[in-house]
Amino acid sequence: MFWEYRLVLLRGLAFNAYVFLAAAAVALSVGLIAALLRINRAWPFRWIGTLHVEVFRNAPDYIMVVWVHFVLPLLLGAAIGRRIEFHPFVSAVIALGFVYSGYFAETFRAGIQSIPLGHIEAGRSCGMSEFLILRRVVLPQVVRRMLPEAINQFVSLFKATTIVSLIAVPDLMYQVSMVIQQEMKPLPLYTSAALTYFAVIYVVAGLVRLLSERWRNRIYA
Amino acid sequence: MDAIPAIRVVDIRKSFGTLEVLRGVSFDVHRGNVVSMIGASGSGKSTLLRCINRLETPSAGEVYIDGEPMGAVEGRDRPLSEINRMRRDLGMVFQQFNLWPHMTVLGNVIEAPIRVLGMSRKAAAALGEECLARVYLSEKAREYPARLSGGQQQRVAIARALAMRPKAMLFDEPTSSLDPELTDEVLTVMRELAKAGTTMIVVTHEMGFARDVSHRVLFLHNGQIEEEGSPAQVFGNPKSDRCRQFLSKHLQ
Amino acid sequence: MGNWERLVWNQRGVLLQGLMVTVEVCLIAFVLAVLGGLALCLVRMYMRPLKPLAVLLTEFFRATPIFVQLMWVTYVWPEIFGWPNSFFTAGWVALGLQSSGYLAETFRAGIEAVPRGHREAGYSVGMSPVLVFGRIVLPQSLLTVAPSIVNQFTVIVKSSTLVSVITVQDLMFQALKLVNVWYEPIEILTATAGIYIGFIFLVSTAGKMLADMLRQRYGLAAA
Ligand SMILES: Nc1ncnc2c1ncn2[C@@H]1O[C@H](COP(=O)(O)OP(=O)(O)OP(=O)(O)O)[C@@H](O)[C@H]1O
Ligand SMILES: [Mg+2]
Repeated sequence: MFWEYRLVLLRGLAFNAYVFLAAAAVALSVGLIAALLRINRAWPFRWIGTLHVEVFRNAPDYIMVVWVHFVLPLLLGAAIGRRIEFHPFVSAVIALGFVYSGYFAETFRAGIQSIPLGHIEAGRSCGMSEFLILRRVVLPQVVRRMLPEAINQFVSLFKATTIVSLIAVPDLMYQVSMVIQQEMKPLPLYTSAALTYFAVIYVVAGLVRLLSERWRNRIYA
Repeated sequence: MDAIPAIRVVDIRKSFGTLEVLRGVSFDVHRGNVVSMIGASGSGKSTLLRCINRLETPSAGEVYIDGEPMGAVEGRDRPLSEINRMRRDLGMVFQQFNLWPHMTVLGNVIEAPIRVLGMSRKAAAALGEECLARVYLSEKAREYPARLSGGQQQRVAIARALAMRPKAMLFDEPTSSLDPELTDEVLTVMRELAKAGTTMIVVTHEMGFARDVSHRVLFLHNGQIEEEGSPAQVFGNPKSDRCRQFLSKHLQ
Repeated sequence: MGNWERLVWNQRGVLLQGLMVTVEVCLIAFVLAVLGGLALCLVRMYMRPLKPLAVLLTEFFRATPIFVQLMWVTYVWPEIFGWPNSFFTAGWVALGLQSSGYLAETFRAGIEAVPRGHREAGYSVGMSPVLVFGRIVLPQSLLTVAPSIVNQFTVIVKSSTLVSVITVQDLMFQALKLVNVWYEPIEILTATAGIYIGFIFLVSTAGKMLADMLRQRYGLAAA
């Protein structure tokens, strides 16, 4: 049964991957900006960063996806005086990207604050600019430090991509429910869907964790 | 002696809030000279060193590197980019080494020459190897800092500072966080730098080093220079009582 | 403002009713998650022959998306087990199972963090293993993992929005129904998102304060 539909379902799984990759890119970049705002010396920036984190960390994925899909286009449309609609894929990426940017911001912040000030001062005393220090001294270390936590968040994000079927992004769950509507056989289909997600997440996450540990161990000997 | 000192410190003052840490410090360091700075904990030695390369901004006073003012030019504060340019001329070695753990030993040494001085990777690598040879660590070039002993790490930090070909080197208690048996290897390297004519300011509790190597010794107390002179003068016949007390505690 | 009054304030009864259902589902799921997580973790640590099963279940609950699990429990379990017989039950079962996987790992970390010497001290004064576990190991580990437990409750609340998909009439369900009646999503959905965010913020802040208080009272530094 599952095998019959493997091509359709694989295409669905690919959509999970697309949403995941695009949302991860949004989450990482917005998260980094929010983290930098949160540790800024000027309080208005700190305040904006904190607000960002508290809103998105406490927001359920599903309501945000629905909100971005149905409300945001209306608000933007009113602002520019033209009717607009978001493609479901776009809504999914924006919503999940922003929700997870809240989590990544905290991870980034903890990572940045864990870098000893001396490493930064060593850079300054070599005449490096603040931006160069951020790029070459701070961020590479932050990435290594936050990796274990970030992998967990990537796993959560990937799992969250399954809800995009609810706004009709044709992902694996969407395809499965379509097939179920035709065939009326939820048992094999939902079971296989669960097993597929389980296998993909378990294997990929395990592999990534293993590799990242090797990489980190080289430095923190 | 030349007319323009390598480093001239003029009436530097620094306060943290209401705490006055430096109360007007002035001295010159001439080219090729070693100046040792001694003094009790909290007397302001680190703060003074950090004011010299502007890791701290002094509340008042000025530092001149080869006659060029560090803080202000034509009455206006230098932008950070210019301070960065001037900092290249001062190599700094910290008590805590502060090596970047995610780069190899050679990577640490050639990072700034490549990114700040714009050297080619090849030229920088050659320079890096040369600097590592001066601290006797050529064979560790490809290790990561975490695999080195404290003494080795500190020597890498010295090589990293040397690679910028600075006009002077600043050392802030470079051996204080090392086990006693590891201090000698670092002091040896520093002695050789001094012999090669490197201009240095060394904050240290190693009185033997200060006596043998330096041209001048400054004794700091409460944010001021309480005593200064040649090692023979300061160690042999200190004028100030406080300096005498300090020395009697630190010279076994 | 008129819209807000018409679409949100005047509908507050329905929305509140939904919120109550959300709270109900989440609390039941949370109890299941704590008990299930404790069971999985104890079996894994102290019942050798059943360990592989416990590990498999834990990993399966953790690595499967909640939405997929919800569908699976709702539409597949009745076919296999003849249960759950209502969508409401299916909702809290799915939510509880997933979190039980996470809590099992949390509890295990907490138990492993209790120094060996504390247990040995218990044995040396003649306490039985059960007594040592109940009086020494468990209370300490619960204190250390208290913040993670609170966090897991907020995860349950966030995931609970999905039970609306299987027609459990929670806050999300009521909000979407209102949107379908009025065709004016802006105020309703914004208010609903605000309620969720505010509610979860309150829960996690209160939970954190409680956890810190407990840990301070018992001499564990707040993390
Ligand atoms: N960033 C800072 N903010 C506030 N106070 C500071 C700061 N840095 C240093 N101080 C204070 O300035 C005084 C001098 O500190 P400094 O580190 O210069 O002393 P030191 O002579 O280097 O001592 P040590 O031998 O312990 O290194 C101390 O009282 C210290 O607490
Ligand atoms: Mg000091």
